[in-house]
Amino acid sequence: MSAPLLAVENVGRRFGGFVALDGVTAQFEPNKVTSIIGPNGAGKSTFFNVLSGVLTPSTGSIRFKGQNLTGTRQHKFVHLGIARSYQITNIFPELSAHENVRVAAQAARSRYNIWRNRSHFPELGERADAALDSVGLGGKHNETAKFLAHGQQRALEIAIALVSDPEVLLLDEPTAGMGPEETKDMVALLEKLARDRTILLVEHKMKMILGLSDRILVLHHGRLIADGSPRDIQADPDVRRVYLGQNDGYA
Amino acid sequence: MDAELILIQLFSGVALGAILVITALGLSIIFGMLGVVNFAHGALFMIGAYAGLWVASLTGSFWWGLLVAPIMIGVFGMAIEWLLVRPLYGRSVDDPLLLTFGLSYVLVEAVRIVFGNDGIPFPTPSQLTGVANLGVGYFPIYRLFVIVVVAVVLLLLWLALEKTKFGLIVRAGSRDPTIMRVLGVNISKVWLLVFGVGVGLAALGGVLAGPMRTVNPEMGSLVLIEAFVVTVIGGLGSLLGSVVAGLLVGVAISMTALFAPEMGTIVMFALMALVLLVRPRGLFGKAA
Amino acid sequence: MERDMTVKSIPLAATSSGARKATDLAAALTNWRVLLSIAALCLLPWVLPSKALAVNVLVYGVLAMGYNLLFGYTGLLSFGHAAFFGAGAYVTGIAIGQFGVPWYGAVLLGVIGGGLLALAIGALSIRTRGIYFSMVTLALAQLVYHVALQASSWTGGENGLRGFTVAKIDIAGFSINFLDPVSKYYVLMVFAALALWFVSRILNSPFGAAIEAIRENETRARTCGYDVERTKLISFVLSGLICALAGTMSALHLAFVPLDVLHYQTSGMIVMMTLLGGASSFFGPFVGALAFLLMEDVFSLWTSHWQIIVGSIFILFVLFLPKGIWGTFLARVVR
Repeated sequence: MSAPLLAVENVGRRFGGFVALDGVTAQFEPNKVTSIIGPNGAGKSTFFNVLSGVLTPSTGSIRFKGQNLTGTRQHKFVHLGIARSYQITNIFPELSAHENVRVAAQAARSRYNIWRNRSHFPELGERADAALDSVGLGGKHNETAKFLAHGQQRALEIAIALVSDPEVLLLDEPTAGMGPEETKDMVALLEKLARDRTILLVEHKMKMILGLSDRILVLHHGRLIADGSPRDIQADPDVRRVYLGQNDGYA
Repeated sequence: MDAELILIQLFSGVALGAILVITALGLSIIFGMLGVVNFAHGALFMIGAYAGLWVASLTGSFWWGLLVAPIMIGVFGMAIEWLLVRPLYGRSVDDPLLLTFGLSYVLVEAVRIVFGNDGIPFPTPSQLTGVANLGVGYFPIYRLFVIVVVAVVLLLLWLALEKTKFGLIVRAGSRDPTIMRVLGVNISKVWLLVFGVGVGLAALGGVLAGPMRTVNPEMGSLVLIEAFVVTVIGGLGSLLGSVVAGLLVGVAISMTALFAPEMGTIVMFALMALVLLVRPRGLFGKAA
Repeated sequence: MERDMTVKSIPLAATSSGARKATDLAAALTNWRVLLSIAALCLLPWVLPSKALAVNVLVYGVLAMGYNLLFGYTGLLSFGHAAFFGAGAYVTGIAIGQFGVPWYGAVLLGVIGGGLLALAIGALSIRTRGIYFSMVTLALAQLVYHVALQASSWTGGENGLRGFTVAKIDIAGFSINFLDPVSKYYVLMVFAALALWFVSRILNSPFGAAIEAIRENETRARTCGYDVERTKLISFVLSGLICALAGTMSALHLAFVPLDVLHYQTSGMIVMMTLLGGASSFFGPFVGALAFLLMEDVFSLWTSHWQIIVGSIFILFVLFLPKGIWGTFLARVVR
């Protein structure tokens, strides 16, 4: 077992009296796909928000490559190497697909430069092009983002996260709202990305999760109730009871 | 300094604060439910004062003015929501703000056309003139009356929000409008009503303030800014925050006036700046 | 549903030659926006009924353009920009009148003064979220108004600030008569040209891309790695600097600073001009300033209550033409 890239230790988050995340401890190794599953309200989104710096944990700590990230401001996460996508499409609607990704690439440098032109940094544009090509948006560079089809917007969402070349990619339901065809394309894309990246995935589509994941975490009422390979998880009686036993489990 | 004078000034501050509370509360209710910052709130306060004066002179009784004007202006507020604000839902949150800002321009000029540019004195009703002995000194009866009316209205509002089905809907709806739709509540009717109530509260503030100052077309702009300061200090959307911050600002202005009259307005802004530094979401504002 | 959306996704540039021409025109307008704007402003005194109106368009155009950097391009609705306009005007007036500073030094001091005030007000107001921002900027600008009112030994209080007439501008061996309306216009035109170039510079830069990203989607911009608060603050200060420059122009022009420059109505007027002309379009603020001032001139001939007409027109714009005159023109005619 290689050293963990990302480790959470007893991480919890409360909202007033409500405990959304309750003492989760887990380690994530490089270049593995880990899915986080659980019924609605299990704390998956809170977990992702804590991992990406959107929320500061109420308890516990996050370590990335040995560095303590607890309390680090959100915009720094991507510079350190942790990028994320959102469940609800979260792009720059009035900008072109290319500019959506280019502006994301630009954030790593020359953020406050007012004396150069945007075009003065051609490598940013090239990286944006490459990211768009890699998610299958090759022909759509100049299209205004809001006019893209839903599946293309989801792909754009991933390209925005990808262009920073993150070591850890947090993907929040990348196939949300997609039909079977689009889902198939997305799964192929994720398989490609998973070769040289650590991916954490929140998903509902069980067949996809079982096919893609090296490992699955199961959250229930904010607690981590199971952690293991897809086969272990399918066999776990606790998981079967709270999650897979439900009718929509394999939907 | 004289302890009696300070106590009397404190009462003055509470009376001033009471007007601020009722006005800021209207602003806060509308924001909490609809997410709209009503920039015409000051203008509607001013129109409330004129309407109160008009009804009072028509009927010969201040009491009719006090009762009818807020209802009249409240209904006018509902018309504003229905006609002008409603088309903007789903657009940027800035749009209703810009629209009501333009509306305040129109309302102020309309009042100038109808009632003229000059201030009109609003006579204190004869039953409420004079002073009362509070034990520590004499205090204008009308100001006591303002404090009592605001306290009663606050109590009624609290009962309406806590004990009625409508209040339940309002409280739940301000947290999550989608739940309301799922439950089959006609949210646009609730919004209409809430906007009317909020505007009605501004108008009530205007009528109550009338006898304490002259009524003029400009009186709304200062009130709007004061109401903003109160809501920022108290926390936007928090009703308790409006009450506490309103009284705080009223007392602060009034106590400063005792020592350095020209600093009265400035101290209010200083208080706001301090709150922003220490607690940007306001004293009772919820965390984002 | 997803199927028919793919039909739409044909690249825009390849549709028809008409569309191609329109895109070229749009690109040309963007690439040459500074020179085209300067050319348009150079012609202004000769097409408008009075030179005074032309100077006002220049001053308020620069003011609205500075405001537009924050409102149109960063997406922050400030209701307190009168403070920076006023600060520029007062500092210039005080520097010339009470300290005998030459005009160029006074202009520089005015711009710096406005920028520092913007830093202070920006730092406080950007701590707040969303809609609070408008309320807090309004309140803090009102604080500046009351301070200026009280500090009458410096500012002249309610009577305004007088006694700093600049009669001639000496530059590079030339002496320009600043009391002549036409030469005054073209001297101030130089400031306006500088402001146009500076704003265009910002918009073309990576920083311009960053503020646009924040306007489009603040959450995503933060996730991409932008320090949203700091970026907003820088934009706020840059915007304040340009508005302060407009203030110094106004002070030089009028040789008088009325207390009203700091009034809440001035902040409101800036918002109106920007929106009428077209927020987030480069030349829109000048068009808006011209439209507003023309309306004021024309309607005030009919009635002293001209504001009721302007207010109503503004409401109609918010409802039906939120892109403003110039923004709608660009969207309809050019595209």
